[in-house]
Amino acid sequence: MAGLVTTFGAGAMTNSIDEIRDAEFLFVIGSNTSEAHPIIAMEMKRAVHRGATLVVADPRAIWMSTLADIYLALHPGTDVALLNAMAHVIINEGLTDQAFIEKNTEHFESVREAVAEYTPEKGEEITGVPAEQIRKVARAYATTKKAGIYYTLGITEHSHGTDNVYALSNLVLMTGHLGYASAGLNPLRGQNNVQGANDAGASPVFYPGYQRVDDPAAQAKYQESWGVTLSDRPGYNLNELMKKAGTEIKGFFIMGEDVVLSEPNVSRLEAGLNNVDFVVMQDIFLNETARFADVIFPAACFAEKDGVFTNSERRVQLVRKGVEPPGQARADWEILVSLANACGADWKYESPAEIYDEMAKDAPQFAGISHDRIASRALGLQWPCQDAESDGTRFLHEGGVLRGKGQFQAVHYRPSLELPTEEFPLIMSTGRTLYHYNAATQTRRDPGTDAKQPEAFVEMHRFDARQRGVADGEMVRVWTRRGEVECRVIISKQVKKGCIWMPLHFAEARANLLTNDVGDSITGTAEFKVCAAQIARAEAATKSESKHFPGSFYRDPAAGS
Amino acid sequence: MAANDKREQLLGALHKAGGLTPGAAAKVSAELGVPEAQVYGAGSFYHLLGDSETKLRVCTGLSCAMRGGRKLLALAQDADMPVAECSCLAACDRAPALLKDRSVLVDVTQENVKSAGGDWRNVQGAELADDWNGRVGSNNSELPMNLGGTPSFSGEAFAKAQSIGADEVIAAIDESGLQGRGGAGFPAAIKWGGVRAQEAKPHYVVLNADEGEPGTFKDRELMLRRPDLVLEGLAIAAFCLGAQDVYLYLRGEFTGPWIALEKAIASFSENKLFEGVSFHLHSGHGAYICGEETALLEALEGKRGMPRLKPPFPHENGLWGKPTLIQNVETIACVPAIVLQGGAWFKAMGATEPGTKLYSISGDVKEPGTYELPLGSTLDDVAAAAGGYVGELLAFSPGGASSGFLPASERKRALDFAALSKIGSMLGSAGVVVMNTESDIRELVREQLIFFENESCGQCAPCRIGTRYLREALDRDLQGKPSEQSLGEVAEVAWEMNEGSICGLGQAAALPLTSALQHFPGAFGGEKRK
Amino acid sequence: MSKTLKLNGDEVEIVAGESVLELARRMGQEIPSLCHDPRLKAVGACRTCLVEVEGVRRLVPSCATKAEEGIAVTTANARIERHQKALFALYMTDNVDASETDDSSDPSELHALAERVKAPTTWPRMQHKRFQRADDRNPYIEYRADRCILCARCTRYCEEVESVSAITLAGRGAETTIATADARSLLDTTCELCGGCVDVCPTGAMTEKKPLALKLLPARKLEKVRTTCNYCGVGCQMDLNVDRTANNGRGVVAKITSPDAGVLPNDGNLCVKGRFAYQFIDHKDRLTKPLVRNQEGLLEETSWDNALQIAAEGLKKVAKRHGPDSLGFVSSSRCTGEENYLVQKLSRAVFGTHNVHQCAAT
Repeated sequence: MAGLVTTFGAGAMTNSIDEIRDAEFLFVIGSNTSEAHPIIAMEMKRAVHRGATLVVADPRAIWMSTLADIYLALHPGTDVALLNAMAHVIINEGLTDQAFIEKNTEHFESVREAVAEYTPEKGEEITGVPAEQIRKVARAYATTKKAGIYYTLGITEHSHGTDNVYALSNLVLMTGHLGYASAGLNPLRGQNNVQGANDAGASPVFYPGYQRVDDPAAQAKYQESWGVTLSDRPGYNLNELMKKAGTEIKGFFIMGEDVVLSEPNVSRLEAGLNNVDFVVMQDIFLNETARFADVIFPAACFAEKDGVFTNSERRVQLVRKGVEPPGQARADWEILVSLANACGADWKYESPAEIYDEMAKDAPQFAGISHDRIASRALGLQWPCQDAESDGTRFLHEGGVLRGKGQFQAVHYRPSLELPTEEFPLIMSTGRTLYHYNAATQTRRDPGTDAKQPEAFVEMHRFDARQRGVADGEMVRVWTRRGEVECRVIISKQVKKGCIWMPLHFAEARANLLTNDVGDSITGTAEFKVCAAQIARAEAATKSESKHFPGSFYRDPAAGS
Repeated sequence: MAANDKREQLLGALHKAGGLTPGAAAKVSAELGVPEAQVYGAGSFYHLLGDSETKLRVCTGLSCAMRGGRKLLALAQDADMPVAECSCLAACDRAPALLKDRSVLVDVTQENVKSAGGDWRNVQGAELADDWNGRVGSNNSELPMNLGGTPSFSGEAFAKAQSIGADEVIAAIDESGLQGRGGAGFPAAIKWGGVRAQEAKPHYVVLNADEGEPGTFKDRELMLRRPDLVLEGLAIAAFCLGAQDVYLYLRGEFTGPWIALEKAIASFSENKLFEGVSFHLHSGHGAYICGEETALLEALEGKRGMPRLKPPFPHENGLWGKPTLIQNVETIACVPAIVLQGGAWFKAMGATEPGTKLYSISGDVKEPGTYELPLGSTLDDVAAAAGGYVGELLAFSPGGASSGFLPASERKRALDFAALSKIGSMLGSAGVVVMNTESDIRELVREQLIFFENESCGQCAPCRIGTRYLREALDRDLQGKPSEQSLGEVAEVAWEMNEGSICGLGQAAALPLTSALQHFPGAFGGEKRK
Repeated sequence: MSKTLKLNGDEVEIVAGESVLELARRMGQEIPSLCHDPRLKAVGACRTCLVEVEGVRRLVPSCATKAEEGIAVTTANARIERHQKALFALYMTDNVDASETDDSSDPSELHALAERVKAPTTWPRMQHKRFQRADDRNPYIEYRADRCILCARCTRYCEEVESVSAITLAGRGAETTIATADARSLLDTTCELCGGCVDVCPTGAMTEKKPLALKLLPARKLEKVRTTCNYCGVGCQMDLNVDRTANNGRGVVAKITSPDAGVLPNDGNLCVKGRFAYQFIDHKDRLTKPLVRNQEGLLEETSWDNALQIAAEGLKKVAKRHGPDSLGFVSSSRCTGEENYLVQKLSRAVFGTHNVHQCAAT
C-alpha cells in the first residue's frame, strides 16, 4: 500500500479484474491466486485458454504453476534479487520504454545503477532460478504490450515487503506497462474490504481518501468538518500497537478481528494484553481475543446490514441487508454510534448512506460516489470518482502517472531477517487455503469447507520428512524461537526441500505462535512469509484416517500414504 | 490447438490398463497429465473399455439375430457367464458371431455355448486364423479392387501418381466420379481438393475403418485381402495433400485386418516405398458412432466419440483442428486403379452410377459374402452373385440399419445412391441383408431400434431420447397395446429425430420403424408372432 | 461500412464476433436455449435454438452459427415451431413432471420453455428410469439424474471456466450421465466445490442440498437480495435468496446464487466460500447479547445500555489516566466502509488519537 502510494501515487490495483481475460502476459508473483482469489484465478485461466502467457513466481509450486508456461521456483524472500535481475536484463538489452520513462517518471538513473550488479547469473545464485529463465521472462514481459503483474501477501508480508513493491514498480515504470487496459501493477486484496477500510481512513497516517494526518490542510479541513481539535502526529501502525500492548497501549477497541489468532508472535502479544487495562470488542462470534475483553458487543454479519465494501479494483459496491441479526445483535455502525454518544459525542447518523455522504464530502477521490449512485448502476463505481457526473475509473494512470511523475526507487536484495540455522534448519512460510478464511470462524462452521479441510496441517518435502522419520499424515511438532504447535504433516509436492508451509486458519495449531513479528520498516507489516523452524515427529504420532484430507492436489504421490 | 501426443494415447493406455477398473483412470491420468474425470468420461463411452467385466459379447446385429444370436445370449446368461449383447461385429456372413475378449468367433452354435460348462473361456466358434476370409467373387484383374486377386507391393500406382502430380491425380478422381463408399456418397475429388486448398498445415489423412453398420463387412474383407490397395491409396492421398501422418482407425474387433495392414506396411517398407509417410494404426474400443467422421476424429484425439457440429467440416477443421481428409476403406482402395487406368475407365465400370461397388450380402441367401459388382446392380443381381435366395423373399435392407426395410417388390431397383434415396432409403455402405417370409419383420425392426438405442452417443436429445422412445413404442405394440397408445407419436418423433439430430445416426435412426410401417403396415398391432 | 444480415426479413447490423443467437436476442427475438452460456464454447447440443438459414438444408443451432454478412436467418416459422414442440415433448417424456420442479432449486428453465412453446405433455413417459448414482457425502451439491438433460453446461463449466474437470459426461446414449472419476464423492476428487455446476444447470438436476433438506419456500418465492461477498477482496456480487417467512420472521438465507454472467467483477462465478460457506449466519455460536466481564472475571450477559456505559467509561478512564495515545483502535477490513469511517472518527474526533489501524493494512 505505502509502496505503491510512493511510486505511483495510489495504493490499489491499477487495473480492473475483467481486463485480465484480455491480457497477453500475466506475471503472478507471491499470489496463490487459485486459493486466495479463486475468481481472479478464473479470469487468469480464461486468459490462458485464450493464449496468454502465464508466468508464476512462487517458492511453492502452487496450483497456478501447473497451468503456467514458465514457473519460477525462487527461494523464499529473494524476490528483490529476481526482480532486479529482470530489470537488469530489460535495461541491458534495450527493452525499456524510453519515451515513457522521460515523460512520466523520475530517478530512473538510480535504478539503472542499482540493478547493474544484478546479472541474471547473480540472480540465479541468490534465487535459485536459472539465469536463462530470468532472461526469458524479462524479455517476454518487456516486449508484450498487455502485460500485467499480480501480487499479494507473498510480496508484502516480508521485512522487506516495501522493497519488493518498489522493485515491481520499477519494472512497470521502465517498460511503460501502465495506464491502459490489461496491464499495470495489481495487488490483490486479501479481505473483502481492505481497500475500503484504507480508503475510509482506518490508518494511523491517513484521513479518509489518503489525506495525511500531518498535512496541515487536511488537519484543518477535518477540524472544521468535525468541529474538534485534531492531533498532527501520526499514530502507531497495527504491528506497533500490538508490540506496545500493555506498555504504551493500555486500552483497546477492537472491531471484527481476532488479533490473537491473526497477529504474529502471539505469545508476546498475549503477555502484553494481560497488562492492558481495558478492552472493548465487537464481533459476531466469541474468538480467542475475547479472553482479554472486558466488554463484548454482539454484531451483525454482512447479510444483516447495509453499507459498502470496496474491492481490490477500487469498485465501491453495496452490501444489503437480507435477514435480521440474531437476538439483540446490532450492526457495527449502530454500535459505534451508540458507543460514541455514550462517550460524549453527539452523532445522529440514521443510515450508512448518510455516513458515506459525510465521508465522500471531504475526500475528493470519492466525492462522486453515493449509495444511490451505486444502486443505480449495475457495476458499482470505481474510484477515483470526483463528481456526480463521473463514471469512475476503470484503470489508473491513463495519460500520466497520478503522482505526476512515477517514482523509481532503487532497492537492493536484503536477506530475510531470520534465516535457517543448525537448530532451526527449515524455512517456514504461512498462507491461506481455498477452503478457509482467516481465523476460519465462519468456514469451520460450515460442513463442506470443514469436510474438505477439517484440521491443521504442515506441508513438507519428502526428503526432509524422511530425514526426520516422519510419515505422511502423522502428527508432528513444529517449533520456532517463539513457540510450538502440533499438527498433521502432508508430504507435499508443492514445497521445496528445506521449506515448510502452514495455513494460518486453525486455532488448535496457531501458525502465528511461530511467526516472526519483525515488521517492514515502512508499513509495519510482519514477516509472515519467512521464519526459521524445526519439525519432529510428535510423541503420539497417529496417522490420519481421513481419505481426503486435506486436498488431493498437495500430496506427493511418491510419498505413499 | 496443437497435436497432443499424450491425449492421443488415452484410450490405448486405458485398454492397456485393462479397461476402466477402479483406479485405472487415476493411473492413466497421472501417466498422461489428462484430468482423471476426463479419462473416466472418455473410457466410459466405449463399451470395450467401460465394461471390462463382460468377457463375452453376443452379436445381435440383424443377420446374427436372424441366425439365433439372442438364443446364444440367453444360453450364456443362463450359464452365468459374464455376457452381454453387442452391436454388429461385421461378421454377418458367418452369423451368428460373438466376441470373446477381443477375438471374434463366428458360426457359433448353441452347442458351442452349452458345452462350455459355464466357463466363458471355453466357448468356441468355427476355427479362424488371423487371415480369416469370407466369400468373394473370383479373381478378375479387370476389377478395380478385385478381392479375389493377390496383393502387390510394387507401388506402381504411387509411382505414377508422383510422376503425373497431384493435380492430375485429383483430376482423374474427379473424372472417375468416385463417391464416398462409407455411406454418404460424397464426391471424393471435392474432399481431396478441399483439403489441398487449405493454408493451415499440417494436413492429415485418416482412414475410416470403423466398419460397424449391421450387415456390412466389406471393409473387413478388403483389408484382409487387399491391404496393398488401401495403403497405396492412402499414400497417394498423403502425397497429393502434402500430408506426412496417416491415421488408420480400425474398430477394436478387427484383429485380422490390423495384422494384415501391419504386414502390408512392412512389405511396402521393405520395398523402400512411401518413405516420409507415417502410418499410425489406432484401435477403436466398441462404439459404432465412431464411424461418423467427426466422432472418429474425437476418438483419435482420445475423447468421447461424440460427433462435432458441421460446419466446420473436417477438410478445414479436422484432426487437432487441422485440415483432414477422411475416407472410407473402399473409397481409398479404388484410388490406385483410378490412377493407373484413368478416371473414365473407372466411371464406365458402373451400371447406373460410376465404378464398381463392394456389396456385402447376408441373411437368407445361399452364399453370403462380399461381391464387387457394377454400382447400380439390383438386389436380384447381388443375390445371384451370392448363389441365390433361400426361401421366399419378404424384405431386404439395402444398406445397413440406416437404410430401413424395403419390400420384395423393390428387388429390381438399382442399388445406387440416387435411386434408393428417391424412395426414402439409402445405399449407405451397401450391406445388404435379405429376409425371407420366415422372418417376423417386427422383431427385426426391434433389433435395428435396439442397435441405434445402444449406439446413440447421447449428445443430443432427439437421438438419445428418440431412439429409446421408438423402441419402447414398438415394445408396447408387441405387447398388443392399441396402436394410438403405442405408435401414436412415432411419425412426429421420427420427423424430429431427422430434423433435430446433430449427426446422421439420429437423423436416420427412425427409418427401420417408419419404413416397416410404410411397407408392412399389416405386421403391426396385434399379438406377437411366435 | 457495418455488416448486416437478414433476420426474419429485416436487414440488421452485425456486432463483430457475435453468434446468430446473440444477434437475434439483441434484436428482441425469443429463441429458447438450454446448453448455451456466454462463458462456454458453443456446442449446439440441446437443439432448442435451431433456426433456418436460407440455402442450408438442415436447421442450424443459432448458438454455434456465426452471424455472417449476407445470410438470411428465420427464427420462427411452422417448421421451427413444429421442431420445438416435438423436441420439448421428447424432453418431457424423459424428465420429471412440472409439478415436481417447484422446490428450492432454481426454477427449471426446461419446463418453463416447454410450456412457452406449448409442447405436448401427453406423450407416454419413458419406461426406463435414468440411472441415479449413490448419494455423495459432500454436503453441498446433489445430482438428480431424473432432471438432467445432459446439456453438459456443468461439465463444460468445470473444464473451461474452473479448469478443474472434476465431473464429466460418462456412459453413452440413453445411459449417459454426469459422473466423477470412478463415481467417487466430489470430496474425493479435484472438485473445489465452487458450485458452478449448480449455477449453470438449467433444470435443477445439479442443485444445492441444504435448502432442499430445510424444506424452505420454493425458489420462485425466495426474495433475491443483491449484495457483496464478505470473504476475499474480489468483491463478488451475489444474491442472498431469502425466505422471509422462516425463523420467526427474522428470515433465512436459503441459498446464495450468483448473478448472470456479465455482472462484474465475478461474471456470474463464485467460489466455494462465497456460494456455500454461509451457514455461519445462523450458527448457534453467534453472539446475541452484550457481554461484560464480572467480578469473578467471567463474561456475563447484560443489557445494551449497561454494556455501552461500561465500555465508554472504561475507554475514557484509560484516556484520562494515560492520555489519548494510550488507546489503540483496531478497525476491520471485514466491516463496511462506513463502519471503518466511524471507527477512525471515534478514535480521532472523540478520543483525539491517530492510533487507528486495521487488520490487513498491507
